[in-house]
Amino acid sequence: MFSLFPAHDYALIAVILGMPLLGAFVNGIWGKRLGDAAVKLMALVALGVSFAAAVVAFIMLADHVGAEKNEHVKLTWTAWEWMHTTGGYGGSNVPIDVTFSIDALNGVMMLVITGVGFLIHLYATSYMEGDPGYARFFAYLNLFVFAMLVLVLGDNLPLLFVGWEGVGLCSYLLIGFWYENPANAAAGKKAFIANRIGDFGLLCAMFLLAHYTDSLDWNGIARGAHNLILPGEPYRVYVWPLGNGQYTGLLKFLQPAHPVTISAATAVGLALLLGCTGKSAQIPLYVWLPDAMAGPTPVSALIHAATMVTAGVYLICRLSFVFVLSPFVMMVVAIVGAATALLAASIALVQNDIKKVLAYSTVSQLGFMFLGVGVGAFTAGFFHVFTHAFFKACLFLGAGSVIHAMHARIHDDTAAQDVRLMGGLRKWLPITHWTFAAATAAIIGLPLTSGFFSKDEILYRAFVDHTVSPITAAHSYEPPPWIGPTLFWVAFVAAVMTAFYMCRLYFLTFWGDFKGWTVGRPSLLAKEELEHGANGHDHADHEHHEDLTTPGYPPHESPWQMTVPLVVLAVFALIAGFLNPGFHIVREKPMDHWLEPVFKAATEHAVLFGHGNDEAWAEHMELPLGLCGIAAFLIGTGLAYYFYVAKKGEPAKRAAEAMPALHQLLLDKWRVDEFYDATVIAAVDSLADTSAIVDKNVVDAILARLTSTIVATAGTLLRAVQTGVVQVYAATMVVGIALIAWFFAAPHASYTVVDDGNDDYVVTAAPGVGYGYRWDSDGDGTPDKASFGPDSTLKLHVVPGKDVTVNLEVKNTFGLVKKTAIHVTRPNAPVSSL
Amino acid sequence: MIPVESYIALSALLFVIGGIGFLVRRNVLVTLMSIEIMLNAANLALVAFNRSGFAHVDGQAFAGASHTGQLFAFFIIAAEAAEVAVGLAIVLSLYRLRRTVRSDEADLLRN
Repeated sequence: MFSLFPAHDYALIAVILGMPLLGAFVNGIWGKRLGDAAVKLMALVALGVSFAAAVVAFIMLADHVGAEKNEHVKLTWTAWEWMHTTGGYGGSNVPIDVTFSIDALNGVMMLVITGVGFLIHLYATSYMEGDPGYARFFAYLNLFVFAMLVLVLGDNLPLLFVGWEGVGLCSYLLIGFWYENPANAAAGKKAFIANRIGDFGLLCAMFLLAHYTDSLDWNGIARGAHNLILPGEPYRVYVWPLGNGQYTGLLKFLQPAHPVTISAATAVGLALLLGCTGKSAQIPLYVWLPDAMAGPTPVSALIHAATMVTAGVYLICRLSFVFVLSPFVMMVVAIVGAATALLAASIALVQNDIKKVLAYSTVSQLGFMFLGVGVGAFTAGFFHVFTHAFFKACLFLGAGSVIHAMHARIHDDTAAQDVRLMGGLRKWLPITHWTFAAATAAIIGLPLTSGFFSKDEILYRAFVDHTVSPITAAHSYEPPPWIGPTLFWVAFVAAVMTAFYMCRLYFLTFWGDFKGWTVGRPSLLAKEELEHGANGHDHADHEHHEDLTTPGYPPHESPWQMTVPLVVLAVFALIAGFLNPGFHIVREKPMDHWLEPVFKAATEHAVLFGHGNDEAWAEHMELPLGLCGIAAFLIGTGLAYYFYVAKKGEPAKRAAEAMPALHQLLLDKWRVDEFYDATVIAAVDSLADTSAIVDKNVVDAILARLTSTIVATAGTLLRAVQTGVVQVYAATMVVGIALIAWFFAAPHASYTVVDDGNDDYVVTAAPGVGYGYRWDSDGDGTPDKASFGPDSTLKLHVVPGKDVTVNLEVKNTFGLVKKTAIHVTRPNAPVSSL
Repeated sequence: MIPVESYIALSALLFVIGGIGFLVRRNVLVTLMSIEIMLNAANLALVAFNRSGFAHVDGQAFAGASHTGQLFAFFIIAAEAAEVAVGLAIVLSLYRLRRTVRSDEADLLRN
């Protein structure tokens, strides 16, 4: 096995990557003809084999790690050499190859993508049953998994970018999967465009890295990273004026007294951060993710919760050694994360659409991850990616199961997702209920669940960590000491809100009384009768084209293809935390130990503890801060229980009535979309309007219409010549031939005059067939010689200020003679007649 | 022996007759015949020059020993035959289409 797949040529990656691509290809090309059963088989086999290969690769990686004493082990495979570019220093060659690698970091990602991906594919085989686009759906979904694997397994930034764009494309295609509804298509477009803005940042970062580090693959960037913080002005990035240009003339007032510069590390970090905020839905580009819920629920679970949106966090982890070079960027990452966590959590408090709540919850949790990596706790941030993949996928799939059940009853896409119409569903959906409860417990931080450990670690590290530049530079930025505690308390409030809104969602959905009886259609049975003995499982044969005037069935539990993934994910949501438990429950945290080689280089000198790297203080703070985390859980959960179970939603109503403006503001999502509409989108629209005016009045009117008028007029005039009589054309031809014959029969006395230096000029007559020349070098009208000779050049001596006239006679074969006078005037020389 | 100039004069006369016939007559059949006359004028010039010209073999000149002019004439005769075959076919279909063989009435491409 080891000899078959050596670490430097690890071709097993081809299987991991190739199977989903094959699935996408087969289902995309032949899916309609194959039928749903074959499509299902192809998609599941593709993901299953890919997952199995990923497990094998992971085990082999662990073996290598064990054998090499925890060095940063990589299994690499170069598919082919792609292209070369030129670096900034000495024009060195920067190879860009299609190389994939597996190391400790993306090995875990790979397992999550293929493993959770497989479960969600299994779920989707049932969830999407009967959809006319069944094959298309699985083709897209397989393609997404392929692109996501390219993203995480790519060994250089351009290859990551290929995957990055690939997942963006699949995300767009799947958000707009039901494109007949214009709202869905618009949501897809919004996601795509918001991501484009982020991609611009990623591209800029790529150019800067190629310029400064002379490399684009991970090892090369790590080797050249020190170039990013070289001291001295030439190595810095000129923010204003851009590229250290000069403003002159009217724009001179724009020229600053001192150019504004930042270190290359800061520029790269900020550009990368822009890319990450786009893909990972952070402020300011988070607005696309809530709208992305227009896609089918398995898509929300796989792409918009478990995998794609964590790509930004992955990229920050992957390039952690670049980020830590600029403590300022680290601080910005942490602030963006904390602010997003708080903002999204506050919106989630009042939303009524079950998927919208989960969407804002995802944005908020991604904020926690950014906070984690921003304070230098890369392992903690990445661990939250890992645990979040399980519990958020479980929550989305559970929500899908609930919507599935509700849809069978209500037959209205919007109403089926409204938590106000749910309630008491635990009676009919026992498995969904228990798995949803487990995942909720994990996300709100019930002690010993996965979310508890991962979130508490982030909160703790936000408080105690202090990032400094690993190399003391004159420009290095020192984050203020109050930033850590501030981030902690912001995250604490966000955690309280998380506990509150998740419990609110859980209680409203599964507890209390079912409120959906009267929506859309009458019930089949009396309400009491249903509650005492009706069993939803008997009515699994619901049809989606029923007559809505007849009574509907009660909600029912989903089939096994949907419940099995739920159970597996719920189990992982509960126990995955023990891979990295805090509070010294185990002697060595397995995840910490596993990822140490990846992050050691970055964090060793850059991430210190606060209070002047006081390790004892940090140790001492762990328990009280952990208790704060538990307190956040207790406060949020207790409030939600009091609001929605003990008092049946009364206090929530009263609070909303007491502060109607605030409530409306939260319901309107802080009106950020409206703000963007009024500023960015309005600006682009007005630019488009201006361009349209220019297009209509300049391009269309002058360029296009004027040109066409000229052509049409010329055509009208020339049409008169076009008689259609053959003899007229022939006569025209005869005239043309006669003219050409005359041109060749007549002699041509053309010449050139060349300055030969020393006041000498050489006159050269043009050659021709049978030409003879006769010169009159003194210009008196009498030729020098009586006969025509072959000498075609004449040397002249012209002193400055003098005029010389020379006569040239040319005689051709037919005896025709042409005479021309040549004036050579100083100082206006040389002259030419050609 | 008749000097070559006489042949060339006859050839030029024939060519001019053919050219004028082509330009002034409107009957397509006559037009075709004019073309034939022009081609034959060229043929006459070729064979006449061939007779009076010299072939150069190993630096020595031999009067009337070259056959290039005759060969050319044969090629032109073959091309003429093909041209007439196609030309008459065109005239025939023109007549079927327009019920005329006058070239000034066959002016579908006018203006």
